[in-house]
Amino acid sequence: MTIEEALEKLESITQELESETTGLDASIILFEEGLTLASTIKSQLEEARLKVEQVIETSQGVFSLESLDLT
Amino acid sequence: MQIGKAEHVYSISELNRASRETLESTFGDVWVRGEISELTRASSGHVYFTLKDDDAEISAVRFRSRTSILTPTPIKQGMLVLAMGRLTVYEPRGRYQFVASLIQPVGEGALQAAIERLKVKLQDEGLFDAAHKQPLPRFPLRIGLVTSPAGAALRDLRSVFERRWPIAELFLFGSSVQGAAAPDELVAAIESARRFSRQAEPLDLLIVGRGGGSAEDLASFSDERVVRALFECPIPTISAVGHEVDFALADFVTDLRAPTPSAAAELAAPSREEIVQQAGRIAQGWKQMLAKRLETREAELTGLLRGYVLRLPVRQIETAAQRFDAAVERIARGLSEKLRIRIGRVDHAADILRLSDPYRPLQRGYSMTFLKGETEPLREAESLPISAELETRLQTGRVISRITEISPASEVIEE
Repeated sequence: MTIEEALEKLESITQELESETTGLDASIILFEEGLTLASTIKSQLEEARLKVEQVIETSQGVFSLESLDLT
Repeated sequence: MQIGKAEHVYSISELNRASRETLESTFGDVWVRGEISELTRASSGHVYFTLKDDDAEISAVRFRSRTSILTPTPIKQGMLVLAMGRLTVYEPRGRYQFVASLIQPVGEGALQAAIERLKVKLQDEGLFDAAHKQPLPRFPLRIGLVTSPAGAALRDLRSVFERRWPIAELFLFGSSVQGAAAPDELVAAIESARRFSRQAEPLDLLIVGRGGGSAEDLASFSDERVVRALFECPIPTISAVGHEVDFALADFVTDLRAPTPSAAAELAAPSREEIVQQAGRIAQGWKQMLAKRLETREAELTGLLRGYVLRLPVRQIETAAQRFDAAVERIARGLSEKLRIRIGRVDHAADILRLSDPYRPLQRGYSMTFLKGETEPLREAESLPISAELETRLQTGRVISRITEISPASEVIEE
């Protein structure tokens, strides 16, 4: 799941929780699902390492990538 | 040496005034060419600087009154200029200086004019129309960079992304960013990024730019071929050319102009802290929402309890209430598997209470009897006084009766 999808999921959980038709038990399940998701987002962002690559087009449409990551 | 009587002895003031008059009348207005250095702007609005060439220099000033009308281009340190003005002496200090009334950057004037003409032409063609602008993605993950592999821009972009949005992957399409080859190389890099995005990995965003430099250095980003290549590029694009004050035609054709490369990186993506905080706020909102729902549920249950005329044993009610409190507390702390079980129990407790409604048996044809005025239902017949008044509750309504006879327990048929 991308960060964008995860954030959208968080927003949709909020909508479901706000909905009157969602029962208490279902709410608890949603709530816990959301908390897990939120902590996944957090650790994904906190553990991310920037990747930098130089793209070299060796011939038209053929690419080779050369890492410029800091070592 | 002796001073002759005929010789005039000047005071310093006289000498300086005479020098000034001589200079002013001899030269009148002159044009000079030189480089600006030691530029200082006084709070009065006057600008002091030195004009120099390789071998010599002269102090110069541009008074404030001249500043706004005659010199549309702000002068900068290191700028090569043609200046018109008069030579004079600042008498109190005996300083010989040039008072500029017109300053015009050399070369830049022609370059600027060409860029202006091109701007009008491309504008008329509609290249800069708002209709062509596309929204930038909120969370770009694959970001192309068109800039010099050795430049300050790459270093700045990289360090800002490292700090704020390290989840991104940066793809550098290297190009020189100044000099005669730069426009062609920039076009090639932009087109390469397009092909890469289409055939290899789709790019969410492209940042095109370079760090600060002279007007000539930045001119590649106003080159017609570069502007057209950017116009043709379907990837959402941010331009970041030079410093805040610099503008290039690339800025007009891209979807967003950033004042500097660092700013481009900040405009491109949110910071991870913002996202983590946002997720935290959302979760906090849920906790409040759930705590509120539990309170409502608790109120319902309390209402249910109050509804009974006959109370359940106090201990049972307290247990149910405590379970509620614990559940609410746990919700507030954001837990867990166990919580769900407890909530289940609380709901179950409510069901038990409902099932143990003392009036329920009445619906099945049983009745309850009380000594009139008492609240505890009668269980034993033996000790009741003859002729006492009784109240019997049926499914609907009550009956008041009087005791006429009491039978011992053994005579009652067991169910």
